[in-house]
Amino acid sequence: MTNSTEQLFNPGDYFTYVLDQEIRNAGMPGGYCGFALQLAETPDLSGLQNRLDLLVERFPQASAKIEPRGKRFAWVATGKPIALELHECRADADEADESQRILLEIFNRPESRPLTVHWIAGADGGTLLLIWLHPLLDARGCKILLDFLSSERPESFKDSLSLIEAKLAQWSFWKKLQLFFKAKRHNTQANSLDSCLPTQVEQGPQRLKLKLQSFDADQSQRIAKLAQQYTGLTGRTLYYLGCFMRAMELVGPPAAKEGYCIPYAFNLRRQNAPTPVFGNHIGCLFARATRQQVRDRNGLFAHLLSEHKQVVRDELDLAYLPLMWLGQWLAPAKYAKILRKQHSGGELSSLWFSDIGELSWTKTGFLGVPVTNMSLLCWMPLPPGLALLACQLDGKLVLSYSYLSPAIDEAWLDKVMSKMNAELLETGEN
Amino acid sequence: MKETLKNFIFAELIYHEDPTSFGDDDNLLDAGLDSMGIMRLIMFAEKEFGVTLPDTEIEPDNVGSLNSLENWLRRSGYAG
Repeated sequence: MTNSTEQLFNPGDYFTYVLDQEIRNAGMPGGYCGFALQLAETPDLSGLQNRLDLLVERFPQASAKIEPRGKRFAWVATGKPIALELHECRADADEADESQRILLEIFNRPESRPLTVHWIAGADGGTLLLIWLHPLLDARGCKILLDFLSSERPESFKDSLSLIEAKLAQWSFWKKLQLFFKAKRHNTQANSLDSCLPTQVEQGPQRLKLKLQSFDADQSQRIAKLAQQYTGLTGRTLYYLGCFMRAMELVGPPAAKEGYCIPYAFNLRRQNAPTPVFGNHIGCLFARATRQQVRDRNGLFAHLLSEHKQVVRDELDLAYLPLMWLGQWLAPAKYAKILRKQHSGGELSSLWFSDIGELSWTKTGFLGVPVTNMSLLCWMPLPPGLALLACQLDGKLVLSYSYLSPAIDEAWLDKVMSKMNAELLETGEN
Repeated sequence: MKETLKNFIFAELIYHEDPTSFGDDDNLLDAGLDSMGIMRLIMFAEKEFGVTLPDTEIEPDNVGSLNSLENWLRRSGYAG
């Protein structure tokens, strides 16, 4: 979009747009995600505003609007600036609680803009909150966006073609067809196991809330070591997924069915690449296990690892791309039904999950200010009404649970988080 | 073999400003190779070089650099 005012959605953008529409149709703000960085001091806010102005100048998509183009959709530049929005914690309130209250108030308000940036000022420092609409970019893109806002070399950040479309262009028609049928079979298989859900509620007014589970450096190292022991060098994400399945099973799922299915993204972006900034460059994978498999800890991790290896061996990580390419021509409601519903009519996802991986601003800080903590947020459809987002800030694991209230019972979630703690650290309390 | 591995790694898995300057003993994990990337690299190597790399040997000593990867592939039966 750098050189034009219009950019058609890529297949990954449309995939996330369809889910955005599901969330909006249920009366919630939409497929918004948030990164909240807790900063030790107040950064140069006018410098940040200048950088936001440069962002819109260099990448008009940052303040674009979505418009239909035939059966497809496109980002259309508006040229509107992104104004840094300032908020202040009340001096007479507990700062952490107050900061979280403001953060959730912002995240729960109706919104149509694709990207908003907020500074929530505390007594010393505060929280920088960046909220983006998922069709605009994926989580790795958001990290690149933060790097752009803080970089001394903003000119090194460039837009480029969709990685999904570049990949599709490499394949012959027959290869695409082969992969399409592989993905379809994989989807059919995922749909065959009825998924346990964290709530029985399917509608009604909801508010998004957030709970955090932070681990210190020693605990995080122990978790990394256990992950390597159980799921090998290749499977840290699988360790989190397996531990969560077990935590939910040990407490008891509110909607108990045959097993668990947790979709997770496969990102085509190269690690550390400063480009592409915008767009979704993702495929979809599933971690699945029956309740019986979940009850056997060692067996579960062996199962998840073997399932994941088979997926990569069979090229199923790439097989979703042709499926998503065809999905672009389906109406949102029809596509959403395919993405969400199982053969039984139940919801496919036991929860939403994403592992953002390792993040660090230790070298230069964010705009020169140390980042002391971090949390992640995202909206999701109901059911499942629960999303687990994992990241590591300077080697310390942070788990952020976004959940819909009152659909998700808070007391139930507290118990699950306590079991999750025990599962991750293998403390034998289960 | 190393050239093939290197081309795949820098085209698909890790961004590097100048891949030609990346040495055969330089650390791939420090360069950003993550768990998903390791999996894709192993599957690529197995397919490309016709060997099976034992799951129990997937460890930093075997995937940490281009040289260690090459040694692992040769130990696992690649004779090319």
